Amino acid sequence: MTIKYLIEKMSNQTIVQIQNLEKFYGKKQVLHGINLEITSGQIIGYIGPNGAGKSTTVKILCGLINEFQGEISIFGKDLRTNTLEIKKQVGYIPENAVLYESLTPMEFMEFIGEMRGLENEITRSKAEALMNIFEMKANLNQRIATFSKGMRQKVMICSALLHNPDLIFMDEPLSGLDANSVIMVKEMLIHLAREGKTVFYSSHLMDVVEKISDRIILIDQGRVIADGSFDELNKLSNDENLEKMFTRLTGNTNHGEKAEAFINAFEK
Amino acid sequence: MGADYNQFIMILQLKLTMDNRRTKGIGANAKKETENALIKQSFSQLMIGVFFAIFFFFIKSSFTFYFFFHSFLMAMMAMMIISEFTTILFDTSENVIIQPLPIKGNTISLARNAHVLTYLTLMSFNLSVVTIITAATKFGVLSALLFSFTIFMNVLFTLFLANMLYLIIMRLASGEKLKNILMYFQIVIAILFMGAYQLSINMVDKTHISNMVLPVHWYTYLIPPAFFSGLLEAFTLFVFDIRHLIFIAEALLVPVLAIFFTGKYLTPIFNRKLMDLEQGDRVSKVKTETVRKSLWYRMMFGIFVRRKGEHAPFKLIWTMTGRERLFMQSFLPSLGFIVIMIAVQFFRNNTFNLDEIIHSKLYLLILYSFMFIGLTLPASLLNGNNQQATWIFKTVPLSLPADYFKGFIKAAFARFFVPFYLVISVGVCFLWGYTVIPDVLVAILAIYLVTTLFYYLQSPGFPFAQPKTASQGGMAFVKMMGLMLTAVALGLMHYFLLRWSAYAGLLLIPLYLGLIYYVNRIFVYKKITWEKVDEVNIYP
Repeated sequence: MTIKYLIEKMSNQTIVQIQNLEKFYGKKQVLHGINLEITSGQIIGYIGPNGAGKSTTVKILCGLINEFQGEISIFGKDLRTNTLEIKKQVGYIPENAVLYESLTPMEFMEFIGEMRGLENEITRSKAEALMNIFEMKANLNQRIATFSKGMRQKVMICSALLHNPDLIFMDEPLSGLDANSVIMVKEMLIHLAREGKTVFYSSHLMDVVEKISDRIILIDQGRVIADGSFDELNKLSNDENLEKMFTRLTGNTNHGEKAEAFINAFEK
Repeated sequence: MGADYNQFIMILQLKLTMDNRRTKGIGANAKKETENALIKQSFSQLMIGVFFAIFFFFIKSSFTFYFFFHSFLMAMMAMMIISEFTTILFDTSENVIIQPLPIKGNTISLARNAHVLTYLTLMSFNLSVVTIITAATKFGVLSALLFSFTIFMNVLFTLFLANMLYLIIMRLASGEKLKNILMYFQIVIAILFMGAYQLSINMVDKTHISNMVLPVHWYTYLIPPAFFSGLLEAFTLFVFDIRHLIFIAEALLVPVLAIFFTGKYLTPIFNRKLMDLEQGDRVSKVKTETVRKSLWYRMMFGIFVRRKGEHAPFKLIWTMTGRERLFMQSFLPSLGFIVIMIAVQFFRNNTFNLDEIIHSKLYLLILYSFMFIGLTLPASLLNGNNQQATWIFKTVPLSLPADYFKGFIKAAFARFFVPFYLVISVGVCFLWGYTVIPDVLVAILAIYLVTTLFYYLQSPGFPFAQPKTASQGGMAFVKMMGLMLTAVALGLMHYFLLRWSAYAGLLLIPLYLGLIYYVNRIFVYKKITWEKVDEVNIYP
């Protein structure tokens, strides 16, 4: 048995399996039967227009929303019955989430670490190390209220990685970050995937998704409408880039006309 | 003053429209859209006005009558400014929207002051309309008409005072520190107001009031309500001697000069300071928090925390309660209220006989009064601006959410009530002797039991994450009655046991410990489940 074989075996493990996932908000159906199988060591770019159901899917997978129809298993365990076991191995970076402003990053991470059952010493040293990567070690004991948007995002990323999760959900993780940090996070994601971790990445930044994703899943109105690596998808359609493919598939092709109407509105 | 009239009207209109859609209390987040919030508020003010009009009705002297009303009005406006307008006056969020537009600074500040003025005028009108009618029947129509005029003058003058006050405070501090000073200021004012109310209810004799005539000393000419009542007396009795002429001059000149001074000198300084405040916020607030926890924290942690799941929540709330202004703003005044209620009991008959008190069991009343926190502490833990931060509780693997809530209430109780209770107990032991120590212990066990029980019975919202809304009327009343009855019943039980034997209180210790064990180990886990928690909280 060679190491290569081991790695191959690991990377082919099914991490997330979603069967016929449906979700209703009241009478409004937001997810219309999503089927996905995700293997380890991949970066999955999860894209779609506003209101397509991206955040809802992520929230269901993270256990923030408990009510849904269909079957989901993560790490081979049923999400409904083994929520806690699964949460232990999952990291989540939410989109619009806010941190407790009156706390410092250290206090915040100590809370999370302790709730995840980490030793206090380990939490502290990890928090320091992670924040150091983002050049925020000096801010560890300052209140989050004083931070800029990007700094908060960095704290959020650090606190989600504290327990070394095997599966990481990210909802727009790059929003508010400066150019250097964007490059760093991208590198970080690639490293994490190489270590066999799975990154489920939802974003509107098409160029980033195109570059880093091993596999792209495009959803629209609660349905998967494209699924595969960029090259695979490109073979089918011959779009120049993901942005073009996105607009073609989600049915908004008359951007030119709309922009013209926009200009006309000024001239009146 | 170089302000653009149309822009001024538009800004004012916008502000009033937004206010009208807010729920009670400016600055509170509305859960659902509300309309006509102003009308509802006006109605309650009208009711307060009726209450005070009855109170003033008995006063015969016109000077005294008007003096009391103007003082009352100023006090009410001061309350309103402190509790509601602090947020408006210091609201820098609108700057982001309004500053980039081509609007002069003068127009903005004028609109801000006009906004406050509109509110105060509306409130004064609601509060005084009944009293104006009373005045018309008592002192004639002319007097009542002039009365309405002086009310407006009073509003102008109070607005000037508020501007002055805030400028002084802003000179003393900035940024976070300023917000903290304002918070303590609000707490003290709230307690003082409650105290004054209690004293006036308990001490003022109604027959005494009706014949009361305020004497005029040299310093009377310096008290603002006296200006207005002097003017009104002059036109009621038609006396225009030198004394009344001074009052008339003051009543007319002082408010006009004050408002001129505000517009010309104060508002520009105020605006500049406000800009600094916004700019300086980032810089001044950056302060390194100490990492080490105090001995007190470790002691309390050792006493209160038993289960591992409670560790982190306890620590979280211990840290946060000391920093969340809204929590301190709603909880600390309740402690002050209790102290005032106790003080009123002591001075009830205007006599203070220490000997008599020491031989009574009055200390039980003092100790059990603090059971009132069973209502206020759980409620104070709910409100805050952290609606968006609750996701964190849901992503962490925790099977029993009850552990969170146990940690929360224990931390708040240990940090904000135990030290206060210790101080009170030392006073009690000093007066009544060390034999009462067991009773002190029994009382805090009872308070702890009731507080935790009330917290677990309340809807399980995560701390500081519920927008502040008006109390839910009926439910709050039922809770209040329930708590009062419980406090009285437990207190009486203790009292009768003591009459039977001086050390019978000790019997209660195992009873309460047993009940606390039941509530914290069994009851809470049945009561707080994820289903119930998810019903109440939203996770963004």
